[in-house]
Amino acid sequence: MRKLSFGGAAVLAAVVALSLPYVLNGYLIYVVDIAIIFMLLALGLCLSLGIAGQINLGQIAFFGVAAYASGILTTQVGMGFWPAAVLAVLAAALAGLLVGIPALRVQSHYLGIVTLGLSLAFTALVGNLSIAGAAEGLLGLPVPSFPGVDLSSHFLYYYLELAVLVVVAPFAYFVVFTRFGRRLRAMRDDNLAAASTGVEVPLARMSSFALAGFFGGVAGVLYAGLVRYVSPPSFNTDTMFLLLAMVIIGGRFSLTGVLVGVVTLTVVREVLVDYSTYAQLVYGALIVLMVVFAPTGLAGAPRRLKDLLHRGTREAAGGTQPFVPSGTPNGSSARTGRPALEVDGLSKRFRGVQALDQVTLTVEEGEIRGIVGPNGSGKTTLFNTVSGLYTANAGAVRLFGRDVTNAKPYDLSHLGVARTFQNLRLFGRLSVRDNILVGLDRTRMRWAWRYVAWPIGVLRSERELRLGAREILAQYGLTAVADAVPGELPYGTQRRVEIARAMASSPRLLLLDEPAAGLNAQETQQLAEIVRDVRSRGTTVILIEHNMGLVMSLCDRVTVLANGVVIADDVPEVVANSPRVIEAYLGGGDEVAAPDPVTTTEQEGAR
Amino acid sequence: MQDFLQTAIGGLSIGSIYALVAMGFSIVYRTMGLVNFAHGGVVMVGAYIASTFFLTVSLPFVLAMVVAVVLTAAIGLVIEGVLRPLETKDVDLMLIGTIGFGIVLQALVIIIWGATGRAVPTPVFRQPVTIAGIVVRPYDLVIIAVAGIAAAAMWHFLRATKPGAAMQAVAMDPDAATAVGIRVGRSNAIAFGIGAGLAALAGGLAGPVLYVSPSLGGVIGIKGFAAAILGGFGNVPGAILGGLLFGLVDAFSASWFHGFADVVVYLVFAIIVVVRPEGIFGEQTVSRA
Amino acid sequence: MTDTRPGAQEAADNLTGTPKELVVEGLQVRYGGVQAVHGTSFTVAPGEAVGIIGANGAGKTSTLKAVLGLVGRSAGKLAYGEADLLRTRASGVVRLGIGYVPEGRHVFPGLSVEKNLLLGAYARKWDAATRGQVDEVYELFPVLGDMRSRLAGALSGGQQQMLAMGRALMSRPSLIVCDEPSMGLSPILVEDILGALQRLHKAGLSVLLVEQNARLCFEAVTRCLVMEHGHVVKTGPVEELKTDPDVRRIYLGI
Repeated sequence: MRKLSFGGAAVLAAVVALSLPYVLNGYLIYVVDIAIIFMLLALGLCLSLGIAGQINLGQIAFFGVAAYASGILTTQVGMGFWPAAVLAVLAAALAGLLVGIPALRVQSHYLGIVTLGLSLAFTALVGNLSIAGAAEGLLGLPVPSFPGVDLSSHFLYYYLELAVLVVVAPFAYFVVFTRFGRRLRAMRDDNLAAASTGVEVPLARMSSFALAGFFGGVAGVLYAGLVRYVSPPSFNTDTMFLLLAMVIIGGRFSLTGVLVGVVTLTVVREVLVDYSTYAQLVYGALIVLMVVFAPTGLAGAPRRLKDLLHRGTREAAGGTQPFVPSGTPNGSSARTGRPALEVDGLSKRFRGVQALDQVTLTVEEGEIRGIVGPNGSGKTTLFNTVSGLYTANAGAVRLFGRDVTNAKPYDLSHLGVARTFQNLRLFGRLSVRDNILVGLDRTRMRWAWRYVAWPIGVLRSERELRLGAREILAQYGLTAVADAVPGELPYGTQRRVEIARAMASSPRLLLLDEPAAGLNAQETQQLAEIVRDVRSRGTTVILIEHNMGLVMSLCDRVTVLANGVVIADDVPEVVANSPRVIEAYLGGGDEVAAPDPVTTTEQEGAR
Repeated sequence: MQDFLQTAIGGLSIGSIYALVAMGFSIVYRTMGLVNFAHGGVVMVGAYIASTFFLTVSLPFVLAMVVAVVLTAAIGLVIEGVLRPLETKDVDLMLIGTIGFGIVLQALVIIIWGATGRAVPTPVFRQPVTIAGIVVRPYDLVIIAVAGIAAAAMWHFLRATKPGAAMQAVAMDPDAATAVGIRVGRSNAIAFGIGAGLAALAGGLAGPVLYVSPSLGGVIGIKGFAAAILGGFGNVPGAILGGLLFGLVDAFSASWFHGFADVVVYLVFAIIVVVRPEGIFGEQTVSRA
Repeated sequence: MTDTRPGAQEAADNLTGTPKELVVEGLQVRYGGVQAVHGTSFTVAPGEAVGIIGANGAGKTSTLKAVLGLVGRSAGKLAYGEADLLRTRASGVVRLGIGYVPEGRHVFPGLSVEKNLLLGAYARKWDAATRGQVDEVYELFPVLGDMRSRLAGALSGGQQQMLAMGRALMSRPSLIVCDEPSMGLSPILVEDILGALQRLHKAGLSVLLVEQNARLCFEAVTRCLVMEHGHVVKTGPVEELKTDPDVRRIYLGI
């Protein structure tokens, strides 16, 4: 029944779309033509800003690059419209890549100012280049040639644009709702966790800009063919901010939302066509209001309404089932005697604090190792250094015999390392299922060529991924909450999701940072069960914990850190009775010579 | 040589204006961690208000400036107040909110004063003076002097007064600041107001030198921003140095590259931000708990 | 006590106000979906030194922050003397006479030692009397006096700890709330900090001390609460807790 109504709606939309030129007059169809161009621009901005989380204030520059390229190649070089169009789109995508390079080094407001600056450089450039017509721009651009159709008519041009939109827009949806888009969204929500789950963040950032450039380029080419002149004022910051308004008001996280935003603002501007400044006032004010009251824009309104109405009954989302062990009974057979992780003389210093001082330890394959120590002793620093988030000052790290010192977190992920975080790093805007799907995705970025050349392959593998996710959801008892967003779930459930995501990557080494923090007794029991099961399937587990009862009962061996130094490394019973350890925790007896005074927490040097 | 010095003085004069804008940016960033994309718009509003009170109401220039600074500071307080809920939540969103305010300010200016700009006559000493063979506009020296005084006042405020120390404390550690009794929200509002006041001062001073138009905000805003980053974002002495340097770059680019001056300036600036985002003196970041 | 300078005790006397009773009843703290503190209740009588010990994650710091209004909380009653802490905003707590020495020191790193101390007296006028008080702090912590114009960020951990304490004292508190002052410090420095706390207590200051290191806590306070998983599981005089097997279990898991 639902399929029928969806199909019905699609048919209706198609009928409406195809008949617009018969219903509207020449002026209005031109407005629609411009609106479609803005839709393409908005899709590009949405992909970079809303989906990938990159502040992209250069979108109009990509638009301009393609429009000017088209103009120059046709009027100055004598190319035909279509060959010029192809080159123009390529140029725009290339411009996107170039603008994306700063994104590797800076983010947030710096990126905003760089992209804005580069787009201003572009307008300043074309405003002065004679081949680009300098301040007057280029006039008399050719009409795109099409056999039997005169595309100088705005009515007929509409059909050209519609055809382009119908091909290109679904591609945007295709990207967003499959693994590539999911990875971009993961990176947006938490780039550290994304990197630790295997997302090659630098490549992802550049690709999002290239995509933005591509969409801007298509828009630019269509613009050149419609308006048939290009001049600097069309590509200035006013246009950029109008586009930004459309994306923010529509809802930057949603492709459909930004399209709605384009339509909305086009209508507003048409209604206020004689008062264009008031229109500007309106959409400027709308940006401010949206940002404060409705950050998800118009697209987010239905969901917020639903939340408002169902506020009381939201607790029901917490329904999880118990963990289902995988059924390999004998845990210790996983222990092979070979080293899984070797840390050799690892040292890390932050601004005068020696957080790790020649730490050496070896964890055997199939072992469950506990890392304990008082606050500020270096445990999380150790994890962060081993998992590639910090660079070591000295020493080496070997993973199953292979040297991985200072390897990047995503490379480590592809070598079989997975981790959870002390302060829970789930992808906040992704559902539980999507979080796990990101973990399941074991491909490298270069796999993405299939999007362009072999999309069927992408769809097929997507289906496989989802089957895998269903299994993991079932095993971890998360099926009922699969479509919930982490923020809606109780803390204990969120922790479980993080472990499920880590295990989805089938790691050989699992690092758990304070997995029991905030859990009640029952949840802690479940956690222990999960860890034992994970080990029985051959994964080595290292966990940082303060819950000593858990550590002592769960771990094969325990390593104790104090002030960045290993002060004990043995089986639990021995460690618990070691006088040095007792002193480090409870204090007692005479002073043992301690290392130099160190200041505080690991967070200070984390950047 | 004379040409060089003449260009240099012109560069220092426009650079002083950039320095004031950059200081405004920096004080807000330093205390709130916010990059205020409406800052250019605030500069423009300051320029319009000052020129209106000077030309239409015929107030003495100094008084017109004072009025502009006070009114614009009030606008700054409004912006901070509206965007305050986002301060600790989502800074990227707050950034976009300031872009919205910038759009609103520009629209308001056009509605109130029209889309065409206005030329503002130099308020004092119209005749250029010749010093050691160099032709100097006295107003340029006035700009440099005023900017210098403002910078000194800012420096004194931050270093030697209780509210100034409180603002720095809030930037470094809001929880510890709260624990000693500082009201973080009020401190941030004051910072914003000061930033806006500096912007108004820049705009008011710039009136006679640049053409007061709705696009004034964009150009000065970007260049002031660039100057702030060049000197090290959040760093007041850095902002001053960055502004002056940028003014010199601007002036010399114009005389060397003519039309392409802006291209060069923006490109150089983009490269600097990527290669050394901390700027010359290093960024003074805010700890966002 | 290793430091027996008479001037130090006098300084401590001059830096303290008149203490009142701190009453906490049914304190609940919840953030990020976790219940960090489940309805704890305790009091600190005027001039008493009370400690809170427990493993990491037990809710000790959350309790302190909740009393000070730095995190969201609900309680049946939360009062200091006559003042209702539930209706006091966080920046107003210091004016009630409660000084805070945060976990991890949290000095203002870009400001000088002297400026840090002055900021401790933000709630009061910066006049000659206040500047005189800075000297009292230097009397209590001579090391700081040698470094008064150094940037606080350049100080060592122990020096920063003293600075944080001195800063809290600048508001002439009657109750000092101290969160894990020993963290990351060598035993010798810890002795100095302890000595200062003892001196302050002797001068009549109420102390509420959170410590992970139980032994240190026992030396500084007379009564202690033991927290585990957000609950107070034990409370009693220090002598009893020193030999309590439960305390050992909580810390070492056996």
